[in-house]
Amino acid sequence: MASSPRRPVSRRRLLQTSALALPGAWALAACARDQPLSGPTGEANSAGTSGSGSASPSPSAIPIASPQNPVKWPINPGNEAIASGLEPEANATLRIYNYPDYLDKAVIKDFEKEYADYGVKVEYSTFNDYPEALTKIRSGSVPYDVSFLSYNFMGRLVYGNLIRPLNHDYIPNIADVWEEFQDPWYDQDWQYTAPYVIYTTGIGWRADLIPEDIGARANPYDIFWDSKYAGEIAVLDDDREVIGMTILRDGGTNVNTEDPAALGAARDAMLEMLSLSQPRVTITGYTDIPEGVLSLSQCWSGDMITGQYYMPEGVDASVLRYWSPPNGQGMIGNDFMVVLKGGENPVMAHHFLNFMLGTDVSLKNFSWVGYQPPLRALTPESMVADGYVPENLASAVVRAEWFQVGYPLLELPPAVEAEYQAIWQQFKAGA
Amino acid sequence: MRSVADRSTRFLWPVLGLPAMVWIAIFFLIPLYVVFCVAFGTVDPIFRSPVPIWNPLEWQFTQVQVVWDRLVGPDNFYLPAVLRTLMYVAIAVVACLIIAFPVAYFTARYAGKYKGLVLALLVAPFFISYMMRMLAWINLLQPDGLVNSIITMGGAVPLDINWLSGNPYTVVMGLIYGYVPYMLLPLFAALDRISPSLIEAARDLGASGFDLFRRVILPMSLPGIVAGTLLISLPMMGDYFTSDMLSKSPNTAMIGNLINLSIATPGQSGQAGALLILVLLVLLIPMILYTRSNARAEVRS
Amino acid sequence: MTVSAAPAEAILEESRGAHRRRLRGTSDARAYGLATITAVYLLWALVPVAITVLFSFNEGRSRSAWQGFSLRWYTWDPTGSVLNDESIRNALSHTVLLAILATIITVPIGVLFALALDRWRGRLPQGANFLALITFVIPEIALAIGLLFMVTYLATPFGLGTWAQVVGLVTFQLAYPIVICRARLLTIGAHYEEAARDLGASAIGAVRRVILPMLFPAILVSAILVFADVLDDFVIVRYLSSDASTETTSMRIYQVARAAPTPALNAMATIILVVSLIVIVAGWLVYRRWTLKQGENTDVASLANTL
Repeated sequence: MASSPRRPVSRRRLLQTSALALPGAWALAACARDQPLSGPTGEANSAGTSGSGSASPSPSAIPIASPQNPVKWPINPGNEAIASGLEPEANATLRIYNYPDYLDKAVIKDFEKEYADYGVKVEYSTFNDYPEALTKIRSGSVPYDVSFLSYNFMGRLVYGNLIRPLNHDYIPNIADVWEEFQDPWYDQDWQYTAPYVIYTTGIGWRADLIPEDIGARANPYDIFWDSKYAGEIAVLDDDREVIGMTILRDGGTNVNTEDPAALGAARDAMLEMLSLSQPRVTITGYTDIPEGVLSLSQCWSGDMITGQYYMPEGVDASVLRYWSPPNGQGMIGNDFMVVLKGGENPVMAHHFLNFMLGTDVSLKNFSWVGYQPPLRALTPESMVADGYVPENLASAVVRAEWFQVGYPLLELPPAVEAEYQAIWQQFKAGA
Repeated sequence: MRSVADRSTRFLWPVLGLPAMVWIAIFFLIPLYVVFCVAFGTVDPIFRSPVPIWNPLEWQFTQVQVVWDRLVGPDNFYLPAVLRTLMYVAIAVVACLIIAFPVAYFTARYAGKYKGLVLALLVAPFFISYMMRMLAWINLLQPDGLVNSIITMGGAVPLDINWLSGNPYTVVMGLIYGYVPYMLLPLFAALDRISPSLIEAARDLGASGFDLFRRVILPMSLPGIVAGTLLISLPMMGDYFTSDMLSKSPNTAMIGNLINLSIATPGQSGQAGALLILVLLVLLIPMILYTRSNARAEVRS
Repeated sequence: MTVSAAPAEAILEESRGAHRRRLRGTSDARAYGLATITAVYLLWALVPVAITVLFSFNEGRSRSAWQGFSLRWYTWDPTGSVLNDESIRNALSHTVLLAILATIITVPIGVLFALALDRWRGRLPQGANFLALITFVIPEIALAIGLLFMVTYLATPFGLGTWAQVVGLVTFQLAYPIVICRARLLTIGAHYEEAARDLGASAIGAVRRVILPMLFPAILVSAILVFADVLDDFVIVRYLSSDASTETTSMRIYQVARAAPTPALNAMATIILVVSLIVIVAGWLVYRRWTLKQGENTDVASLANTL
């Protein structure tokens, strides 16, 4: 639904996402006007906007971060980081806003135990997709403290004054993660964000139902245009992922293209796919493939790792397969944690981020959600050797060097985003 | 004494009716108006959330234009879904009639002392949630489910039918299964009103079975047929969950799915509103027809 | 309400005995044929649901292969059972909560409106009645989106969540008590009330002491229908829900059915079905007692007819 490099998803959350495709979301969009956008570091806004009359920067005034164009976001006046050395708020209710089941409940319990002296209680609320999250956060109706998001809305989060700059003094555990995530292109100096998990987008299948080696094909993506598998396959319920995959399949590399011709070609190819292979559109591949409802699906790397827990009786998890370009030139992404501006417990929120980044906690969470954190302590070999990832799914391990060559799904200018969504509408309307 | 009472009466009835009228005004008329304001509104250029325009004089037609173009313009990709919906609904309505008529007729005329029991069973699906009934079929239609094992006779016949991945027959079957109870009851009510003596009289006059059906039963059950048809086809026009549950494939998307999808995409909420308005305009006539026939039935009884 | 085989007609039919006997052959064949169709239909309508209920008692995870009887998915499965899965418990209690709230609000408003409509002529009440009937046939998604937009874009005292859901449900269900009570009021007619008034009762007194008791069966029936219908509602509750705490059983089925359901989902659906049945049977018993006491006709047909 949402445009987005999608966060990895696990278990029921996936469902809820696709299923609940609902928006409680733009809920309150109206009230959003209460929080006017502020211009980059206070400079005067030139472009007015239609409608609401509140001053906003023109869409083009918001830079779009990419690996080639790393962005150091402005710190808006009135939105400075908290001071160092503050005591965590006493008896706080720390409000976390995240996808359902995208965080191990046991880890939350551990956090409450660790900070028991401060009487902290964690309240876990959920959203169904990023647009919903963004709209609800904008509305300010609930003072959420911490959220788990991705960079496809980064500019809007900063310019909307929705997130707080981080005070690094509280977050020493950042040292546990890969260096590139201590200075990511989407947030230079990690001023606002701390990394959560990483994932690739690829193809998952059951080897006993699809007896061919997908990776051996000249163009593995072609399988979605193969009428031989009509009715057995699915693509992700996510406009950016499907359009991006189509572009890669046709030899392109710009999965964030703004070129109308390229988008038109992708649309035509997607419609062709509809008539050839009649794919389902779902993000439940992590259960549908293990259960055999689908033989093959476009999916995120973590889906297949989670999928091993959904095997029906009598089928061994060793039949699961995952393919993404072995040279790393496929879609790749990561999610991050942010401290929300509207929260009431910014100090405790910093402590929570720090807690989550710690190696032990991070590993515990990994073994539950199936999505890999960018931890220094993990190597591709150790993940398999230590049983986090079964051997037949070693290809689902995300390698650090892939972030140099992979294609992240970037934030799009709103007008272009509308184009993507129109293509998606047409695709979902069926041929 | 009487006049005092009359005065109080004059206010009594409006006062009794007030809560419902206020409720309908606030929670039915205003929401409809908001749909118009969103559909004729604009979109926030950065966050792409809808910006409703409250003053009808300032309404803009951009979103409606977009929807209109997608229906009949050069980029008419809504059209296949609309035609598909009409086809599914037509097939489902006819199938529901074919199924419901003999059942209702039997219940009304032949069930005898079992009438109460049969009726209770016919009414039962009303009280079983639609989602549970769809769940039942999902279970039965799984790749290794009961239906496939019956068709393949436990794997003896090598036939691999994937019912749940974009199979239009499954979706239409689901619609029929889901909505047929709503056809049954009005049909039963109409057929039950036909006095047995009338049928006897027709027979006495030498009417054959077919004549009897064509000249007596059918005309007299027509109100039930009309009511049942409207009662099931109107909600089917907004149904998205049957296709979602039993298919999840774009190739079986209905109008309801288009609306539901647009709602889920912030920048397209206005388009969802516009599409909804178009659907409502088309359905307005049948809706009025239904309420009229309902009002007539009230007068009759 | 409906006439079920009136005595006069029975006599009439008896007198045609000879003629009937002549026709009995074809008529019987027809009756058997129709009975067969009806039986097949009922099997088709109810057996899938029965199987769903059956598999809620499955020992294993499968929803299609029977692995032995067990209450695992109701009680003892440590994480997945209805008892131990908080989200399922929450969905069940929230569904019942919505049904209770919606019924408590819908029925009085609707009954009062039906009373008013019965006496108050004019364009205003007729227009309101028309709108109420429209809410009955309008695609539910239209009502849901309207309310979603209203809650979202207008300042309402409530946000998405329980109260928005209740408001939507009441609006959608309002037609039930109105239609059912109006039909009943038409058969009651005005003379009871007039008699009461002649005996000196005030207008309110006449309504309270005479009309409302006579209306009781209709009120009861509409309350049961509203309650049962709300238990099943999907579109409105989904659009107007806020977060996981306002999730209902039908929403859960919708989300989980195509993913990784266990028989616990069947168990949850079964529980709601049982709640629904209990309310209906209890309501039916009260209805029967009441109407028998009043010496009125009580067959299911008359109930069905009011739908």
